Amino acid sequence: MKGFLDYVDGNSVLHRLNPMTKLIISFGLCASCFLTQNHAVVAAIALFDLCLGALAGISRRSALIFISLLKLSAALFLLQVFFVRQGNILLVLPFGLRVTDAGVSFSALFALRLAAVTMPLSLMLSITRMSDIANVLVRYLGIPYKYAFVLTTAMRFIPLFTEEMAGIMEAQTARGVRFDTGNFFRKVRLLLPLCVPLLISSVRRIEVSAISAELRGFNLRGRSSGYKRYSFGANDAAALFICVMIIVASAMI
Amino acid sequence: MIKIEGLVFRYDGSPRDALNDISLDIEEGDFVGIIGPSGAGKSTLTYALNGVVPHHYSGNFRGRVEICGMDTAKAGPEAISKYVGSVFQDIEGQILSSVVEDEILFGLENFGIPRGEIEPRVEYALKTAGISELRHRNISSLSGGQKQKVALASIIALRPKIMALDEPTGELDPQSSRRVFETLKELNERHGLTIVVVEQKIMMLCEFAHRLVVMDEGRIAAEGPAREVLRRGGMLEEIGVNIPRIATLARKLRGLGLYDGITPLNLAEAEKMMRNGRQC
Repeated sequence: MKGFLDYVDGNSVLHRLNPMTKLIISFGLCASCFLTQNHAVVAAIALFDLCLGALAGISRRSALIFISLLKLSAALFLLQVFFVRQGNILLVLPFGLRVTDAGVSFSALFALRLAAVTMPLSLMLSITRMSDIANVLVRYLGIPYKYAFVLTTAMRFIPLFTEEMAGIMEAQTARGVRFDTGNFFRKVRLLLPLCVPLLISSVRRIEVSAISAELRGFNLRGRSSGYKRYSFGANDAAALFICVMIIVASAMI
Repeated sequence: MIKIEGLVFRYDGSPRDALNDISLDIEEGDFVGIIGPSGAGKSTLTYALNGVVPHHYSGNFRGRVEICGMDTAKAGPEAISKYVGSVFQDIEGQILSSVVEDEILFGLENFGIPRGEIEPRVEYALKTAGISELRHRNISSLSGGQKQKVALASIIALRPKIMALDEPTGELDPQSSRRVFETLKELNERHGLTIVVVEQKIMMLCEFAHRLVVMDEGRIAAEGPAREVLRRGGMLEEIGVNIPRIATLARKLRGLGLYDGITPLNLAEAEKMMRNGRQC
Protein backbone atom coordinates (compact mmCIF):
# COMPACT_ATOMS: atom_id res chain seq x y z
CA MET A 1 0.00 0.00 0.00
CA LYS A 2 3.07 2.23 -0.06
CA GLY A 3 2.36 5.56 -1.74
CA PHE A 4 -1.34 4.83 -2.18
CA LEU A 5 -2.15 8.43 -1.32
CA ASP A 6 0.28 9.89 -3.86
CA TYR A 7 -1.02 11.91 -6.77
CA VAL A 8 -0.66 10.16 -10.14
CA ASP A 9 -0.23 12.66 -12.94
CA GLY A 10 -2.42 12.22 -15.98
CA ASN A 11 -4.69 13.91 -18.47
CA SER A 12 -7.74 11.66 -18.38
CA VAL A 13 -11.27 13.05 -18.38
CA LEU A 14 -11.40 12.36 -14.63
CA HIS A 15 -8.13 14.20 -14.01
CA ARG A 16 -9.57 17.22 -15.79
CA LEU A 17 -12.77 17.38 -13.76
CA ASN A 18 -13.20 20.22 -11.30
CA PRO A 19 -11.68 19.10 -7.94
CA MET A 20 -14.98 20.00 -6.29
CA THR A 21 -16.83 17.65 -8.66
CA LYS A 22 -14.40 14.88 -7.79
CA LEU A 23 -14.93 15.51 -4.07
CA ILE A 24 -18.72 15.45 -4.46
CA ILE A 25 -18.65 12.28 -6.56
CA SER A 26 -16.42 10.42 -4.12
CA PHE A 27 -18.59 11.35 -1.16
CA GLY A 28 -21.70 10.66 -3.24
CA LEU A 29 -20.49 7.13 -3.98
CA CYS A 30 -19.75 6.62 -0.27
CA ALA A 31 -23.26 7.79 0.59
CA SER A 32 -24.78 5.39 -1.96
CA CYS A 33 -23.05 2.46 -0.26
CA PHE A 34 -24.75 3.35 3.02
CA LEU A 35 -28.12 4.15 1.48
CA THR A 36 -28.61 0.70 0.05
CA GLN A 37 -29.08 -2.57 1.93
CA ASN A 38 -28.59 -4.62 -1.21
CA HIS A 39 -25.34 -6.58 -1.59
CA ALA A 40 -25.49 -6.48 -5.37
CA VAL A 41 -25.76 -2.68 -5.42
CA VAL A 42 -22.72 -2.29 -3.15
CA ALA A 43 -20.80 -4.78 -5.29
CA ALA A 44 -21.85 -2.84 -8.39
CA ILE A 45 -20.59 0.39 -6.84
CA ALA A 46 -17.27 -1.31 -6.08
CA LEU A 47 -17.12 -2.45 -9.70
CA PHE A 48 -17.98 1.08 -10.81
CA ASP A 49 -15.06 2.35 -8.67
CA LEU A 50 -12.73 -0.03 -10.49
CA CYS A 51 -14.06 1.19 -13.85
CA LEU A 52 -13.39 4.78 -12.76
CA GLY A 53 -9.84 3.73 -11.89
CA ALA A 54 -9.42 2.28 -15.38
CA LEU A 55 -10.86 5.44 -16.91
CA ALA A 56 -8.32 7.52 -14.97
CA GLY A 57 -5.54 5.29 -16.31
CA ILE A 58 -4.68 3.85 -12.91
CA SER A 59 -6.35 0.45 -13.22
CA ARG A 60 -3.37 -1.42 -11.78
CA ARG A 61 -3.16 0.82 -8.79
CA SER A 62 -6.92 0.74 -8.16
CA ALA A 63 -6.91 -3.05 -8.46
CA LEU A 64 -4.08 -3.24 -5.91
CA ILE A 65 -5.93 -0.95 -3.52
CA PHE A 66 -9.09 -2.99 -4.02
CA ILE A 67 -7.30 -6.27 -3.28
CA SER A 68 -5.76 -4.81 -0.11
CA LEU A 69 -9.18 -3.59 0.95
CA LEU A 70 -10.70 -7.00 0.25
CA LYS A 71 -8.13 -8.61 2.53
CA LEU A 72 -9.06 -6.17 5.28
CA SER A 73 -12.74 -6.75 4.56
CA ALA A 74 -12.25 -10.53 4.81
CA ALA A 75 -10.69 -10.08 8.25
CA LEU A 76 -13.59 -7.88 9.35
CA PHE A 77 -16.07 -10.40 7.92
CA LEU A 78 -14.55 -13.13 10.09
CA LEU A 79 -14.61 -10.87 13.15
CA GLN A 80 -18.30 -10.09 12.61
CA VAL A 81 -19.79 -13.28 11.35
CA PHE A 82 -19.47 -15.31 14.56
CA PHE A 83 -21.14 -12.74 16.76
CA VAL A 84 -24.49 -12.12 15.05
CA ARG A 85 -26.93 -14.43 16.79
CA GLN A 86 -30.15 -13.66 14.92
CA GLY A 87 -31.36 -15.66 11.91
CA ASN A 88 -31.22 -19.33 10.99
CA ILE A 89 -28.22 -21.22 12.23
CA LEU A 90 -26.00 -22.46 9.42
CA LEU A 91 -23.07 -23.74 11.44
CA VAL A 92 -22.47 -24.43 15.14
CA LEU A 93 -18.93 -24.06 16.39
CA PRO A 94 -17.28 -24.78 19.77
CA PHE A 95 -17.25 -22.13 22.55
CA GLY A 96 -20.87 -21.18 21.82
CA LEU A 97 -20.00 -19.56 18.50
CA ARG A 98 -22.41 -19.95 15.63
CA VAL A 99 -22.80 -18.74 12.07
CA THR A 100 -26.28 -17.63 11.02
CA ASP A 101 -27.65 -16.63 7.62
CA ALA A 102 -28.42 -13.12 8.92
CA GLY A 103 -24.87 -12.93 10.26
CA VAL A 104 -23.37 -13.91 6.93
CA SER A 105 -25.58 -11.43 5.12
CA PHE A 106 -24.86 -8.59 7.54
CA SER A 107 -21.09 -9.24 7.66
CA ALA A 108 -20.84 -9.57 3.89
CA LEU A 109 -22.63 -6.26 3.43
CA PHE A 110 -20.38 -4.67 6.02
CA ALA A 111 -17.20 -6.01 4.38
CA LEU A 112 -18.35 -5.03 0.88
CA ARG A 113 -19.22 -1.57 2.09
CA LEU A 114 -15.79 -1.06 3.58
CA ALA A 115 -14.15 -1.78 0.23
CA ALA A 116 -16.67 0.18 -1.82
CA VAL A 117 -16.57 3.21 0.49
CA THR A 118 -12.79 3.48 0.71
CA MET A 119 -12.17 3.08 -3.01
CA PRO A 120 -13.70 6.36 -4.29
CA LEU A 121 -11.83 8.40 -1.67
CA SER A 122 -8.50 6.80 -2.44
CA LEU A 123 -9.14 7.14 -6.20
CA MET A 124 -10.02 10.78 -5.76
CA LEU A 125 -6.76 11.38 -3.87
CA SER A 126 -4.84 9.56 -6.64
CA ILE A 127 -6.10 11.81 -9.40
CA THR A 128 -6.45 15.14 -7.59
CA ARG A 129 -3.57 17.18 -6.27
CA MET A 130 -3.83 17.91 -2.57
CA SER A 131 -3.26 21.59 -3.30
CA ASP A 132 -6.28 21.61 -5.63
CA ILE A 133 -8.44 19.98 -2.97
CA ALA A 134 -7.22 22.53 -0.43
CA ASN A 135 -7.87 25.39 -2.86
CA VAL A 136 -11.48 24.37 -3.59
CA LEU A 137 -12.17 23.72 0.09
CA VAL A 138 -11.04 27.26 0.83
CA ARG A 139 -12.68 28.91 -2.16
CA TYR A 140 -16.02 27.11 -2.44
CA LEU A 141 -16.65 25.79 1.05
CA GLY A 142 -15.14 28.74 2.88
CA ILE A 143 -12.95 26.52 5.06
CA PRO A 144 -10.17 28.65 6.60
CA TYR A 145 -6.89 28.13 4.76
CA LYS A 146 -5.17 27.04 7.96
CA TYR A 147 -7.36 23.92 8.17
CA ALA A 148 -6.92 23.12 4.51
CA PHE A 149 -3.17 23.52 4.99
CA VAL A 150 -3.23 21.10 7.93
CA LEU A 151 -4.89 18.55 5.64
CA THR A 152 -2.37 18.89 2.83
CA THR A 153 0.60 18.95 5.18
CA ALA A 154 -0.63 15.88 7.06
CA MET A 155 -0.83 14.01 3.76
CA ARG A 156 2.69 15.11 2.90
CA PHE A 157 4.09 14.11 6.27
CA ILE A 158 2.71 10.55 6.35
CA PRO A 159 5.35 9.14 3.94
CA LEU A 160 8.05 11.28 5.57
CA PHE A 161 7.32 9.84 8.99
CA THR A 162 7.17 6.31 7.60
CA GLU A 163 10.61 6.87 6.12
CA GLU A 164 11.87 8.35 9.36
CA MET A 165 10.57 5.34 11.32
CA ALA A 166 12.24 2.97 8.85
CA GLY A 167 15.49 4.88 9.36
CA ILE A 168 15.25 4.65 13.15
CA MET A 169 14.44 0.93 12.92
CA GLU A 170 17.45 0.37 10.69
CA ALA A 171 19.67 2.20 13.14
CA GLN A 172 18.34 0.04 15.98
CA THR A 173 18.73 -3.13 13.92
CA ALA A 174 22.37 -2.19 13.37
CA ARG A 175 22.68 -2.05 17.17
CA GLY A 176 21.39 -5.60 17.43
CA VAL A 177 17.65 -5.10 18.04
CA ARG A 178 15.73 -7.89 16.30
CA PHE A 179 12.54 -6.47 14.83
CA ASP A 180 12.03 -9.56 12.68
CA THR A 181 10.52 -11.45 15.60
CA GLY A 182 7.33 -13.34 14.86
CA ASN A 183 5.91 -12.52 18.27
CA PHE A 184 3.51 -9.61 17.81
CA PHE A 185 3.64 -8.45 21.44
CA ARG A 186 7.41 -8.61 21.52
CA LYS A 187 7.55 -6.52 18.35
CA VAL A 188 5.23 -3.90 19.82
CA ARG A 189 7.40 -3.80 22.94
CA LEU A 190 10.47 -3.21 20.77
CA LEU A 191 8.75 -0.55 18.66
CA LEU A 192 7.23 1.50 21.48
CA PRO A 193 10.47 3.11 22.68
CA LEU A 194 11.15 4.23 19.09
CA CYS A 195 8.20 6.60 19.30
CA VAL A 196 10.36 8.97 21.34
CA PRO A 197 13.07 9.57 18.69
CA LEU A 198 10.35 9.65 16.03
CA LEU A 199 8.45 12.29 17.97
CA ILE A 200 11.58 14.38 18.52
CA SER A 201 12.65 14.30 14.87
CA SER A 202 9.08 14.98 13.75
CA VAL A 203 8.75 18.00 16.01
CA ARG A 204 12.06 19.31 14.69
CA ARG A 205 10.91 18.82 11.11
CA ILE A 206 7.55 20.48 11.77
CA GLU A 207 9.39 23.42 13.31
CA VAL A 208 11.34 23.88 10.06
CA SER A 209 8.08 23.60 8.09
CA ALA A 210 6.43 26.22 10.28
CA ILE A 211 9.33 28.63 9.84
CA SER A 212 9.47 27.94 6.12
CA ALA A 213 5.72 28.61 5.78
CA GLU A 214 5.86 31.72 7.93
CA LEU A 215 8.75 33.17 5.94
CA ARG A 216 6.82 32.66 2.73
CA GLY A 217 3.87 34.69 3.87
CA PHE A 218 1.62 31.95 5.28
CA ASN A 219 -0.08 34.38 7.65
CA LEU A 220 -0.89 36.80 4.82
CA ARG A 221 -2.91 34.28 2.89
CA GLY A 222 -6.58 35.05 2.32
CA ARG A 223 -9.51 33.22 0.77
CA SER A 224 -8.87 34.61 -2.70
CA SER A 225 -5.10 34.05 -2.69
CA GLY A 226 -5.23 30.84 -4.74
CA TYR A 227 -3.76 31.34 -8.19
CA LYS A 228 -5.43 28.46 -9.96
CA ARG A 229 -8.98 28.82 -11.23
CA TYR A 230 -11.19 25.78 -11.59
CA SER A 231 -13.78 25.89 -14.31
CA PHE A 232 -17.04 23.98 -14.24
CA GLY A 233 -17.78 22.44 -17.63
CA ALA A 234 -20.13 20.05 -19.36
CA ASN A 235 -18.06 17.06 -18.18
CA ASP A 236 -18.56 18.15 -14.58
CA ALA A 237 -22.31 18.48 -15.10
CA ALA A 238 -22.49 15.04 -16.71
CA ALA A 239 -20.40 13.47 -13.95
CA LEU A 240 -22.54 15.03 -11.24
CA PHE A 241 -25.70 13.89 -13.02
CA ILE A 242 -24.44 10.28 -13.11
CA CYS A 243 -23.50 10.58 -9.45
CA VAL A 244 -26.99 11.79 -8.49
CA MET A 245 -28.54 8.95 -10.49
CA ILE A 246 -26.41 6.41 -8.63
CA ILE A 247 -27.39 7.91 -5.27
CA VAL A 248 -31.09 7.89 -6.16
CA ALA A 249 -30.92 4.35 -7.56
CA SER A 250 -29.12 2.97 -4.52
CA ALA A 251 -31.61 4.66 -2.18
CA MET A 252 -34.49 3.04 -4.06
CA ILE A 253 -33.12 -0.49 -4.56
CA MET B 1 22.27 46.21 2.67
CA ILE B 2 22.74 44.23 5.92
CA LYS B 3 23.98 46.02 9.00
CA ILE B 4 24.37 44.18 12.29
CA GLU B 5 25.46 46.16 15.32
CA GLY B 6 26.32 44.70 18.70
CA LEU B 7 23.86 41.84 18.33
CA VAL B 8 23.44 39.66 21.40
CA PHE B 9 20.85 36.90 21.52
CA ARG B 10 20.10 34.29 24.12
CA TYR B 11 17.35 31.69 23.54
CA ASP B 12 14.83 31.45 26.36
CA GLY B 13 16.00 28.82 28.82
CA SER B 14 19.53 28.65 27.46
CA PRO B 15 22.41 29.26 29.89
CA ARG B 16 24.57 31.13 27.39
CA ASP B 17 24.33 33.64 24.57
CA ALA B 18 23.93 32.07 21.14
CA LEU B 19 25.18 35.30 19.57
CA ASN B 20 27.55 37.47 21.50
CA ASP B 21 28.28 40.99 20.33
CA ILE B 22 28.11 40.42 16.58
CA SER B 23 28.78 43.37 14.32
CA LEU B 24 28.84 42.81 10.60
CA ASP B 25 28.28 44.85 7.45
CA ILE B 26 27.31 43.14 4.23
CA GLU B 27 27.18 45.15 1.04
CA GLU B 28 24.78 44.65 -1.83
CA GLY B 29 25.99 41.94 -4.21
CA ASP B 30 28.28 40.33 -1.65
CA PHE B 31 28.65 36.56 -1.31
CA VAL B 32 29.44 35.78 2.32
CA GLY B 33 30.23 32.33 3.66
CA ILE B 34 29.77 31.63 7.36
CA ILE B 35 31.72 28.78 8.86
CA GLY B 36 32.42 27.51 12.34
CA PRO B 37 32.04 24.51 14.65
CA SER B 38 28.57 23.35 15.66
CA GLY B 39 27.00 25.48 18.36
CA ALA B 40 28.97 28.52 17.18
CA GLY B 41 25.79 30.47 16.43
CA LYS B 42 25.84 30.21 12.64
CA SER B 43 22.20 29.19 12.27
CA THR B 44 21.12 31.77 14.82
CA LEU B 45 22.89 34.42 12.76
CA THR B 46 20.85 33.46 9.69
CA TYR B 47 17.73 33.49 11.89
CA ALA B 48 18.63 37.04 12.87
CA LEU B 49 18.75 37.98 9.19
CA ASN B 50 15.34 36.57 8.26
CA GLY B 51 13.58 37.71 11.42
CA VAL B 52 13.01 34.22 12.85
CA VAL B 53 14.97 35.65 15.76
CA PRO B 54 13.38 37.41 17.67
CA HIS B 55 9.91 36.85 16.08
CA HIS B 56 9.65 33.06 16.00
CA TYR B 57 12.12 32.07 18.72
CA SER B 58 11.82 34.27 21.73
CA GLY B 59 14.74 35.20 23.92
CA ASN B 60 16.88 38.05 25.07
CA PHE B 61 17.61 40.15 21.97
CA ARG B 62 19.90 43.16 22.15
CA GLY B 63 21.63 45.22 19.49
CA ARG B 64 20.32 46.03 16.07
CA VAL B 65 19.86 44.20 12.77
CA GLU B 66 19.04 46.35 9.79
CA ILE B 67 17.99 44.84 6.45
CA CYS B 68 17.68 47.33 3.59
CA GLY B 69 17.18 50.07 6.18
CA MET B 70 14.51 48.11 8.11
CA ASP B 71 14.93 47.24 11.79
CA THR B 72 14.16 43.50 12.01
CA ALA B 73 13.08 43.72 15.66
CA LYS B 74 10.29 46.11 14.68
CA ALA B 75 9.27 44.69 11.28
CA GLY B 76 7.35 41.41 11.14
CA PRO B 77 8.82 38.27 9.56
CA GLU B 78 6.57 38.72 6.50
CA ALA B 79 7.89 42.24 5.87
CA ILE B 80 11.45 41.01 6.24
CA SER B 81 10.86 38.03 3.97
CA LYS B 82 10.06 40.40 1.09
CA TYR B 83 13.77 41.18 1.16
CA VAL B 84 15.32 38.04 2.61
CA GLY B 85 14.70 34.55 1.21
CA SER B 86 15.66 31.61 3.39
CA VAL B 87 16.72 28.06 2.61
CA PHE B 88 17.39 25.47 5.30
CA GLN B 89 19.39 22.29 5.69
CA ASP B 90 16.33 20.10 6.30
CA ILE B 91 15.28 19.66 2.70
CA GLU B 92 12.09 17.72 3.41
CA GLY B 93 10.98 19.93 6.27
CA GLN B 94 11.05 23.19 4.34
CA ILE B 95 9.08 21.85 1.37
CA LEU B 96 5.37 22.18 1.99
CA SER B 97 3.73 20.90 -1.20
CA SER B 98 3.63 17.62 -3.07
CA VAL B 99 4.21 18.95 -6.57
CA VAL B 100 7.06 21.24 -7.70
CA GLU B 101 4.77 23.85 -9.28
CA ASP B 102 2.64 24.14 -6.13
CA GLU B 103 5.71 24.66 -3.98
CA ILE B 104 6.72 27.65 -6.09
CA LEU B 105 3.17 29.01 -6.18
CA PHE B 106 2.87 28.83 -2.37
CA GLY B 107 4.85 31.99 -1.59
CA LEU B 108 3.61 33.86 -4.67
CA GLU B 109 -0.03 33.25 -3.72
CA ASN B 110 0.55 34.21 -0.10
CA PHE B 111 2.22 37.49 -0.91
CA GLY B 112 -0.63 38.36 -3.28
CA ILE B 113 1.52 38.71 -6.38
CA PRO B 114 -0.74 39.95 -9.23
CA ARG B 115 -2.09 37.12 -11.38
CA GLY B 116 -0.43 38.30 -14.58
CA GLU B 117 2.97 38.26 -12.91
CA ILE B 118 2.77 34.79 -11.41
CA GLU B 119 3.37 32.66 -14.51
CA PRO B 120 6.50 34.60 -15.64
CA ARG B 121 7.85 34.39 -12.12
CA VAL B 122 7.29 30.63 -11.88
CA GLU B 123 9.05 30.15 -15.22
CA TYR B 124 11.90 32.44 -14.20
CA ALA B 125 12.41 30.64 -10.89
CA LEU B 126 12.37 27.19 -12.48
CA LYS B 127 14.77 28.28 -15.21
CA THR B 128 17.19 30.00 -12.84
CA ALA B 129 17.30 26.97 -10.56
CA GLY B 130 17.73 24.78 -13.66
CA ILE B 131 14.66 22.62 -13.02
CA SER B 132 12.22 23.73 -15.73
CA GLU B 133 11.63 20.11 -16.73
CA LEU B 134 10.57 19.15 -13.20
CA ARG B 135 7.63 21.56 -13.02
CA HIS B 136 4.85 18.96 -12.84
CA ARG B 137 6.78 16.28 -10.98
CA ASN B 138 5.87 14.86 -7.62
CA ILE B 139 8.43 16.14 -5.13
CA SER B 140 8.67 12.72 -3.47
CA SER B 141 10.10 11.33 -6.73
CA LEU B 142 13.03 13.79 -6.85
CA SER B 143 16.60 13.36 -5.62
CA GLY B 144 17.97 15.34 -2.67
CA GLY B 145 19.80 17.77 -4.93
CA GLN B 146 16.70 18.35 -7.05
CA LYS B 147 14.59 18.91 -3.94
CA GLN B 148 17.01 21.51 -2.63
CA LYS B 149 16.79 23.26 -6.01
CA VAL B 150 13.01 23.25 -5.70
CA ALA B 151 13.43 24.95 -2.32
CA LEU B 152 15.79 27.47 -3.97
CA ALA B 153 13.35 28.05 -6.84
CA SER B 154 10.46 28.67 -4.43
CA ILE B 155 12.53 31.48 -2.91
CA ILE B 156 13.89 32.82 -6.22
CA ALA B 157 10.28 33.27 -7.40
CA LEU B 158 9.74 35.76 -4.57
CA ARG B 159 12.61 37.88 -5.96
CA PRO B 160 14.32 38.63 -2.66
CA LYS B 161 17.33 40.94 -2.54
CA ILE B 162 19.14 38.75 -0.04
CA MET B 163 19.34 35.00 0.32
CA ALA B 164 20.16 33.51 3.71
CA LEU B 165 20.96 29.81 3.48
CA ASP B 166 21.60 27.57 6.45
CA GLU B 167 23.74 24.64 5.33
CA PRO B 168 21.82 24.14 2.09
CA THR B 169 24.09 21.30 1.04
CA GLY B 170 24.22 19.55 4.43
CA GLU B 171 22.30 16.53 3.17
CA LEU B 172 23.77 16.47 -0.34
CA ASP B 173 26.60 14.62 -2.07
CA PRO B 174 29.58 16.66 -3.37
CA GLN B 175 28.28 16.88 -6.93
CA SER B 176 24.79 18.09 -5.97
CA SER B 177 26.36 20.51 -3.46
CA ARG B 178 28.42 21.98 -6.24
CA ARG B 179 25.38 22.45 -8.45
CA VAL B 180 23.57 24.27 -5.66
CA PHE B 181 26.56 26.58 -5.23
CA GLU B 182 26.76 27.17 -8.98
CA THR B 183 23.12 28.27 -8.91
CA LEU B 184 23.93 30.61 -6.03
CA LYS B 185 26.88 32.02 -7.98
CA GLU B 186 24.65 32.71 -10.94
CA LEU B 187 22.07 34.42 -8.74
CA ASN B 188 24.84 36.50 -7.24
CA GLU B 189 26.63 37.46 -10.44
CA ARG B 190 23.84 37.68 -12.97
CA HIS B 191 20.94 38.74 -10.83
CA GLY B 192 22.81 40.78 -8.22
CA LEU B 193 21.49 38.90 -5.18
CA THR B 194 23.35 39.21 -1.92
CA ILE B 195 24.13 35.72 -0.63
CA VAL B 196 24.80 34.76 2.98
CA VAL B 197 25.44 31.05 3.32
CA VAL B 198 26.32 28.91 6.32
CA GLU B 199 28.38 25.98 5.08
CA GLN B 200 30.68 23.31 6.49
CA LYS B 201 32.36 22.50 3.18
CA ILE B 202 35.15 25.05 3.34
CA MET B 203 36.51 24.28 -0.13
CA MET B 204 33.14 25.22 -1.56
CA LEU B 205 33.17 28.53 0.33
CA CYS B 206 36.76 29.25 -0.71
CA GLU B 207 35.79 28.83 -4.32
CA PHE B 208 32.46 30.66 -4.35
CA ALA B 209 32.31 33.15 -1.46
CA HIS B 210 33.86 36.60 -1.70
CA ARG B 211 34.21 36.78 2.04
CA LEU B 212 34.37 34.32 4.94
CA VAL B 213 33.06 34.89 8.44
CA VAL B 214 34.40 32.41 10.98
CA MET B 215 32.25 32.03 14.07
CA ASP B 216 33.12 30.53 17.42
CA GLU B 217 31.04 30.48 20.60
CA GLY B 218 28.65 33.14 19.36
CA ARG B 219 31.38 35.56 18.28
CA ILE B 220 33.02 36.41 14.99
CA ALA B 221 36.50 34.90 15.28
CA ALA B 222 37.78 36.01 11.88
CA GLU B 223 36.42 37.78 8.86
CA GLY B 224 37.71 38.70 5.43
CA PRO B 225 38.49 37.31 1.99
CA ALA B 226 39.08 33.53 2.04
CA ARG B 227 42.81 33.86 1.40
CA GLU B 228 43.30 36.19 4.32
CA VAL B 229 41.21 34.08 6.67
CA LEU B 230 43.03 30.89 5.67
CA ARG B 231 46.38 32.47 6.50
CA ARG B 232 45.30 32.23 10.12
CA GLY B 233 45.17 28.45 9.83
CA GLY B 234 46.37 27.75 13.37
CA MET B 235 43.53 29.69 14.94
CA LEU B 236 40.99 28.02 12.65
CA GLU B 237 42.23 24.55 13.59
CA GLU B 238 42.10 25.48 17.24
CA ILE B 239 38.40 26.36 17.10
CA GLY B 240 37.64 23.26 15.08
CA VAL B 241 37.25 24.51 11.51
CA ASN B 242 38.61 22.12 8.92
CA ILE B 243 40.93 23.98 6.64
CA PRO B 244 41.79 22.76 3.14
CA ARG B 245 44.98 20.69 2.98
CA ILE B 246 46.45 22.94 0.30
CA ALA B 247 46.09 25.90 2.66
CA THR B 248 47.81 23.93 5.44
CA LEU B 249 50.58 23.01 3.00
CA ALA B 250 51.04 26.66 2.00
CA ARG B 251 51.21 27.66 5.66
CA LYS B 252 53.84 25.01 6.42
CA LEU B 253 55.94 25.95 3.38
CA ARG B 254 55.66 29.55 4.44
CA GLY B 255 56.87 28.61 7.91
CA LEU B 256 59.89 26.87 6.41
CA GLY B 257 60.64 29.96 4.35
CA LEU B 258 60.04 28.07 1.10
CA TYR B 259 57.01 30.04 -0.07
CA ASP B 260 55.80 33.58 0.34
CA GLY B 261 52.97 33.92 -2.18
CA ILE B 262 49.20 33.89 -1.93
CA THR B 263 47.31 31.09 -0.13
CA PRO B 264 46.09 28.73 -2.87
CA LEU B 265 42.33 28.17 -2.92
CA ASN B 266 42.11 25.46 -5.54
CA LEU B 267 44.20 22.71 -7.07
CA ALA B 268 45.38 24.84 -10.01
CA GLU B 269 46.75 27.46 -7.64
CA ALA B 270 48.30 24.77 -5.47
CA GLU B 271 50.06 23.32 -8.51
CA LYS B 272 51.39 26.76 -9.36
CA MET B 273 52.61 27.14 -5.79
CA MET B 274 54.46 23.83 -5.94
CA ARG B 275 56.03 24.58 -9.33
CA ASN B 276 57.07 28.14 -8.73
CA GLY B 277 57.79 28.07 -5.03
CA ARG B 278 59.32 31.32 -4.03
CA GLN B 279 58.45 33.19 -7.23
CA CYS B 280 54.73 32.63 -6.88
